[in-house]
Amino acid sequence: MHKSRFYLVAIVIVAALLRFVYLDVIPPSLTWDEAAWGYNAFSLGVDVKDEFGKNFPLDFIESFGDFKPPMYAYLGILPVKIFGLNEFSTRFPSALFGVLSVITTYFFVLEIFGKQRRGLALLSAFLLAISPWHIMLSRAAFEANIAQFFILLGIFLFLKSMRNKPYLLMGSVLSFVASMYTFNSARIVVPLVVIVMGLFFSRKILQQWKTTAIALIVGFIVCLPLFLFLNTPQAKLRFNEVNIFSDSGVIIRANHQIENDNYTPISKIIHNRRLAYAVEYMRHYVDNLTPQFLFIRGDGNPKFSIQDVGQLYIWEIPFLIAGVLILFRKRVGIWWIVPVMILIGIIPAGFARETPHALRIENTLPAFQILTALGLLSFISIIPKNKKQIGIGLVSIVVLLNFVYFAHNYLTHYAREFSGEWQYGYKESVEYVKAQGSGYSDVYVTEALGRPYIYYLFYMKYDPVLFRSEAQIYREALGFVHVNKFSNIHFTSKIKDVVDVGALYISTPSEKPESAHILQEFRLLNGDVALVAYTL
Amino acid sequence: MKLFKKPLFFLFVIIFIAAILRLYDLGKVPHSLNWDEVSLGYNAYSILKTGHDEYGAFMPVVLRSFDDYKPALYTYFTIPFIGILGLTEFAVRLPSAFAGISAVAIVYFLVTELLGNKKIKLLDREIDVSLIALLTSFFLAISPWHIQFSRIAFESNVGLTLNLLAFFLFLKGLKRNYLLPVAFFVAALNIHMYQSERVFSPLLMIALSIIFYKKLFKIKRWFLLSLLTAIIVALPLVVYILNDSRALMRAKGVSVFSEQTLVKRSAIKLLENKKTGNIVGKAFDNRRVDFVKATVGGYISHFDLNWLFITGDIARHHAPSMGLLYIFQFPFLFVGIYLLVFLKIDLRYKIAFFTYFLLVPVPASITSGVPHAVRTLNFAWTWELFIALGVAAVGVFVLKQKKAFIKNSLRVVALFYILFALFNFAYYINQYFVQMNYFTAKDWLFGYKEAIAYISPIKDQYDKIIVENEVPFDQSYMFFLFYLKVDPYYYQKLGGTDSGGFKEEHRGFYNFVFKSTRSASGGKKTLVVGRPGDISGNSSNVKVIYYPDGTPAIAVGEK
Repeated sequence: MHKSRFYLVAIVIVAALLRFVYLDVIPPSLTWDEAAWGYNAFSLGVDVKDEFGKNFPLDFIESFGDFKPPMYAYLGILPVKIFGLNEFSTRFPSALFGVLSVITTYFFVLEIFGKQRRGLALLSAFLLAISPWHIMLSRAAFEANIAQFFILLGIFLFLKSMRNKPYLLMGSVLSFVASMYTFNSARIVVPLVVIVMGLFFSRKILQQWKTTAIALIVGFIVCLPLFLFLNTPQAKLRFNEVNIFSDSGVIIRANHQIENDNYTPISKIIHNRRLAYAVEYMRHYVDNLTPQFLFIRGDGNPKFSIQDVGQLYIWEIPFLIAGVLILFRKRVGIWWIVPVMILIGIIPAGFARETPHALRIENTLPAFQILTALGLLSFISIIPKNKKQIGIGLVSIVVLLNFVYFAHNYLTHYAREFSGEWQYGYKESVEYVKAQGSGYSDVYVTEALGRPYIYYLFYMKYDPVLFRSEAQIYREALGFVHVNKFSNIHFTSKIKDVVDVGALYISTPSEKPESAHILQEFRLLNGDVALVAYTL
Repeated sequence: MKLFKKPLFFLFVIIFIAAILRLYDLGKVPHSLNWDEVSLGYNAYSILKTGHDEYGAFMPVVLRSFDDYKPALYTYFTIPFIGILGLTEFAVRLPSAFAGISAVAIVYFLVTELLGNKKIKLLDREIDVSLIALLTSFFLAISPWHIQFSRIAFESNVGLTLNLLAFFLFLKGLKRNYLLPVAFFVAALNIHMYQSERVFSPLLMIALSIIFYKKLFKIKRWFLLSLLTAIIVALPLVVYILNDSRALMRAKGVSVFSEQTLVKRSAIKLLENKKTGNIVGKAFDNRRVDFVKATVGGYISHFDLNWLFITGDIARHHAPSMGLLYIFQFPFLFVGIYLLVFLKIDLRYKIAFFTYFLLVPVPASITSGVPHAVRTLNFAWTWELFIALGVAAVGVFVLKQKKAFIKNSLRVVALFYILFALFNFAYYINQYFVQMNYFTAKDWLFGYKEAIAYISPIKDQYDKIIVENEVPFDQSYMFFLFYLKVDPYYYQKLGGTDSGGFKEEHRGFYNFVFKSTRSASGGKKTLVVGRPGDISGNSSNVKVIYYPDGTPAIAVGEK
């Protein structure tokens, strides 16, 4: 007992180190979504209103025309109060919950396979602790990472309540609800997981019908604001933007095919657009299991993957496959929850155009790690006794080398290669404006790199009350919000048209007029110029 | 299961189905011969008439064709068909179609041999192995993947058939030893068939020899004879490769080692490491690591479910909107893999099968352009075996239910699923025979035949006919050789083909010249064949060949 707890503590320390060390500089800078979380947490901490003055937002937080579940901003309040409004405090919740996921994984595995499988539980937790996928998503303010924790905790508490602690069902419900207030994908995943688990445990649930009923009623009440919101056009906005069913190419192709068949009735059935969309859905779903994505390069978006390793390590391939086979062969305990987590976890991502998507399917974690651990332990168990230590040693070396490869690239090359993806340069330009801006009547900032105002609010720690009272805000018909001006800072997409001799300009190099007097350049870490400050 | 007491009758029916699916409209679907097909055809024609190929090589072991330097066996297989049927699309594709039909038959016997000849246990029920073999054979007969390459002159398809034959003869040869040398003969022959087989067939035979080494040790003489046979058959190729460095040009051209982007990224990293004095970086950020990753990535890319079931790779390798397998087979694949892994049969046979399965992507894994349905065509039947096992097991599961309610409802579900499968098949047939020619005409280089049919009767009215020789008309000379049935004696007397490169001008014949038409000009007496955009602009009397979807493909006119 003591020994495994000791190992668990060691794993948690490793996980924490991998998630907290250099948190403010790797990734190199805040994306606008991160900056928005930070500033909203700051704003909520001041007067329980979000950036635009919405009082105690429960259903959503408006951010750049997107209506996001608000949880991350609330979780950010305390860290921002304690550490101040900066990169570290903004990312703190994600990193913290990342560590909590590692701990939960340990107990989750024990719950699935039984108390005696401590080795398996430790290994699963360890694999999650060193997982490139989980490390990358824990080191930036990604709300998906928080949702992943809540879903995992919800499933864990549910299973535990079914075994011997009925009162934990309430905890499970609350955790599930929390995940739905955290990330959109959870709103599809959680109901499905609950239904599947409910079916498997239907007898038990009927036996404990009182606790179940209370938990369900409480869950329903807590979900009410969410239900009300889901009926509004804002809720559908994001879905309409990213879903595959708005692709008209599918219909055009189907019409051609029917024409080629001379409009026979059978042709109209087999080339029905609903079928074509069903296949399209399947394509996007399966895309998330592409070997290249899982093992070689990871998500094509450098924010989610360093492009050098896959979402999983390359050495995991044989063990993952073995793990799946053994899981189905042995069928120990509540084994079925592992594939269920993967199969359901991908469902929401399949609706979106951009696949595979490491962030949207993060809620499949730690199923992959559990399967790998299972395969790895089985492999070790079939090594003959006298060669066991050599076998374990070799595997450890491979695991270590692969980890060092990831860590080396992440620590030394990642920031330089992809600082542009993280909107590097904004912070430096804001610091410059903060220091020099008072000397100018007006400051004009380009919108060419997107959403600049949030960085000015964030790095100037601008008083939200003042911002709300003075900001010039313009809303597009589809909901996108532009902040045109606050204080003496103007934000414009047409900076070339602004002629103000006494003003300070911040724009991309290509927007700068030839004759301008350059005051300062703000460079990406690879040397390219992101922004320049100049006067006319 | 009494139905399956006469497996050979069913096999006959399946072969009949396979034949219909492979021979019906063979010359017309796909729409047109692509450049590799015309090249194979014309070189066979040339060897048949003169003994020399287009470059003037006598009875070549390796066909230089467009500097691919590919194994020449398919060309020789084509010779009798062209001799009898003439130089036609049908004759060029027929060897492949025959190989495809044979594969459907051979796979039946191979599976019977692999699973141990009698009965296997699935979900506590005894099942005739012949049922599994028939199902595999049937699924191969209707396989979109296998049909795709059985209906075009691709060497890879004959390569698959020879591998199946070699595998079967090897297993059979363990019992009837005189078949063992035949197995090695076939396998060695296969390295003259297709690039991938140069790697795959030897690896397969080596692996099989290792797996069954105990048995082979007992029949040493037969085994040595087999090795000798293989060496003799392989010798011409070995000699050729040793003598001509260009023989491996194609292999180098398509390998991952020629990808420059990889190298560039790690070069920048190395520079960075040097600046910061990072020792770890020196070990990790080098090309070797990248190439290992690219190779493993290439290998596992062939286990992409999207590639297998939904998208396929490039347009010529699958029917439009179809993958390589049917969507209805999707769930059975996983059931089948699981079952075969844990199936109680002779372990060596099981290992032999999985070795074959896992070796298939090896040759393709070091190439770019993965996943690649042609280079891994050897896969085709293995997936069908998994699926056959899966289908059989699910069938048993449905039939063995005792409770009336469950039994009946499962049967209803099964019925609907069968309808769905039929629907899926109908969809494929429609996609292949109706939609493919419309959607992928461009990929099949449609238009040459039609253009040449137009030019042929009027060609003598012109002093000169200039044919475009650059993208997308590279290697256009070969289509003219093929469709004009240019006398190989005459062509070789002119000097034959000089170079296979994609950019070079090609030797003309009759009054034809093959070069870029962009700068071409001439009077009334010059006819130009090329891009519609180049020609239609400033000339009258232009004939345009259109793709089935109405976009222009080739223009013929005076410029």
